[in-house]
Amino acid sequence: METSPVITMRDLKRHYSMGEETVKALDGVDLEFLKNDYAAIMGPSGSGKSTLMNIIGCLDTPTSGTYILNGQNVAEMDDDELARVRNREIGFVFQTFNLLPRINCLRNVELPLIYAGVNPREREERATEALNRVGLGDRITHKPTELSGGQIQRVAIARALINNPSIILADEPTGNLDTATSQDIMEIFSDLSKAGNTIILITHEEDIALYTRRIIRLRDGRIESDKKQ
Amino acid sequence: MKRSLKQFRYETAESLHIALFQIRANKIRSFLTALGVIIGIVAITMMGTAINGIDRGFDKSLAMLGYDVIYVQKSSWSTMGQWWRYRNRADLKTSYTEAINRTIEDNPNSNLLVAVPQMSTYQASVQYRDLTIEQAFALGTSYRYPQTASGDLSSGRFFTPTESAAGTMVAVIGDDIATGLFGEREAVGNIIKMKNSRFRVIGVFRKQGKFLGLFSFDNQVIMPLGAFEKTFGKKGFVTLRVKIRDQKQVDDAKAELLGIMRRIRRLPPQKEADFSINEQKAFKSQLDPIKNGIAAAGIFITGMSLFVGAIGIMNITFVSVKERTREIGLRKALGARRNTILMQFLIESVMICLIGGLIGLVTSFLMTWAIATALPDFPVQFSPALVFASLVVSVATGIISGLAPAVNASRLDPADSLRYE
Ligand SMILES: Nc1ncnc2c1ncn2[C@@H]1O[C@H](COP(=O)(O)OP(=O)(O)O)[C@@H](O)[C@H]1O
Ligand SMILES: [Mg+2]
Repeated sequence: METSPVITMRDLKRHYSMGEETVKALDGVDLEFLKNDYAAIMGPSGSGKSTLMNIIGCLDTPTSGTYILNGQNVAEMDDDELARVRNREIGFVFQTFNLLPRINCLRNVELPLIYAGVNPREREERATEALNRVGLGDRITHKPTELSGGQIQRVAIARALINNPSIILADEPTGNLDTATSQDIMEIFSDLSKAGNTIILITHEEDIALYTRRIIRLRDGRIESDKKQ
Repeated sequence: MKRSLKQFRYETAESLHIALFQIRANKIRSFLTALGVIIGIVAITMMGTAINGIDRGFDKSLAMLGYDVIYVQKSSWSTMGQWWRYRNRADLKTSYTEAINRTIEDNPNSNLLVAVPQMSTYQASVQYRDLTIEQAFALGTSYRYPQTASGDLSSGRFFTPTESAAGTMVAVIGDDIATGLFGEREAVGNIIKMKNSRFRVIGVFRKQGKFLGLFSFDNQVIMPLGAFEKTFGKKGFVTLRVKIRDQKQVDDAKAELLGIMRRIRRLPPQKEADFSINEQKAFKSQLDPIKNGIAAAGIFITGMSLFVGAIGIMNITFVSVKERTREIGLRKALGARRNTILMQFLIESVMICLIGGLIGLVTSFLMTWAIATALPDFPVQFSPALVFASLVVSVATGIISGLAPAVNASRLDPADSLRYE
């Protein structure tokens, strides 16, 4: 059975004008992601990976082209609608500064639910459950400063999961981690993928990309290759 | 709708939480930020307290004069100090009161009740044995004087119509005179000396305090008019005390009295009155410029410190927004809307200002209390309206100073903010 794509991008461009010259961070990208895709976006530094990620995550809007997310045309949305989409449809995991340093794990994880208008009791229940899922059920009252890098990324994954988003987006989630910890984190992503989540992650490490089922290579703002594996 | 209301509630709760957290995490910075507001609020409340106190002290003084008594005198209270304007006026006569009272009796609709004569001098000295009090205020009047004056007797009685008519040498004295001459002992029944006359003390007034802190009612020696003239001659300063029926119709009463007085003085219609009708309101209008002066100074100081405070808060909030750019980016990535971020920073600056306002209120409350304890006679008065006004001003300062940085924060681009180092 062929499902309709979660994401459709057509001739997507993102240009930055830097005074005289324009930087073509994305220069005509056509992409589709289906439900339960597990994809890695790769490419050299400056090839436009983060820019693409920001647009997929509705943190940024394209200069031109179409971007359809779950049937909604994102390019036409205003700030508040984008905020809503980020809240409901997207779960983010970043490379750094993932958690607010001064509040505990539980409060960090429940943040998206506050912006979704979920009541405090349900928030706490769901945040606890999400933390259990990433194996941090015993760390809920710890602050990020008391956690290791790997644990912080796991908390971030728990937060990304909490609102049952359509896609989980991770920008170099293992970029700051040692190999063993990176493998732990990738195991979690693989498990989530098996559980039916749609996951897109950026990496420049081949062995990280090998965990996924699809590798998209970018170069100079264009897609160089897009292979299933 | 219901959902967004809930969302608003939870987001506001979150913002309050963050704000408290932020303030606690940066105690010194928050305090310094709030200092301008603290000073502003102290200035507001101290000014308001001073004005309140002056008003109260003033009202107390005016109550001594009586709200329902008007005074016919040679000069006007509202142009005090311009004595030359009245120098050539003919003296008033105490006998005018008889004419006035006859007119009142003939007119059942009169706004006036009774006229009482008063002849007085500031330069009386009172003696009892070897004790002397200089500068007492001697006042000759009729037995109806108590109808036109405040103040009860603490002992003895006022003089009778018979004593009044005969000019009997009796005196009712103020509390300061009584304690000055007799101490704790009973004054009534003793003989005091003024000039070369001897008076029997028949009554003592209860202590009244000073009028506007200047003139003491406790310094009076009141006697029948005949006795006054025998002692001091007929050259005393004449006042006609006229009690009116209704203090709300004081203007009608004044107009009526003006007509009566003009007839008594036989003034042709085109001629200006050569006497003045005074009421306590005249003092009030004299005091208003002083009060306005205090208010203006207070508002200026308040305005300056609030302005400086507001700029400080704006500055700090801008710094705070800068420092927390990545936090703002992260919150936006997780679904915070523009208004959510706007509210978060507004609530923070309002909270700082409110805390500053509360500290200011407590400070001025303590100051007021200290002043009231140290100087019981000094009129200070702390009112709930001031507390309310201070809190409103604090919140307004918070909103005004927090708005620009908060709008700034709410408009930050999420992708840029997340990349910000
Ligand atoms: N906000 C921006 N303003 C100007 N240029 C930008 C901005 N963001 C990214 N770029 C440029 O766009 C190109 C792609 O950047 P990016 O998407 O971050 O690449 P990658 O993540 O693959 O390293 C780079 O040349 C970068 O300098
Ligand atoms: Mg990048």
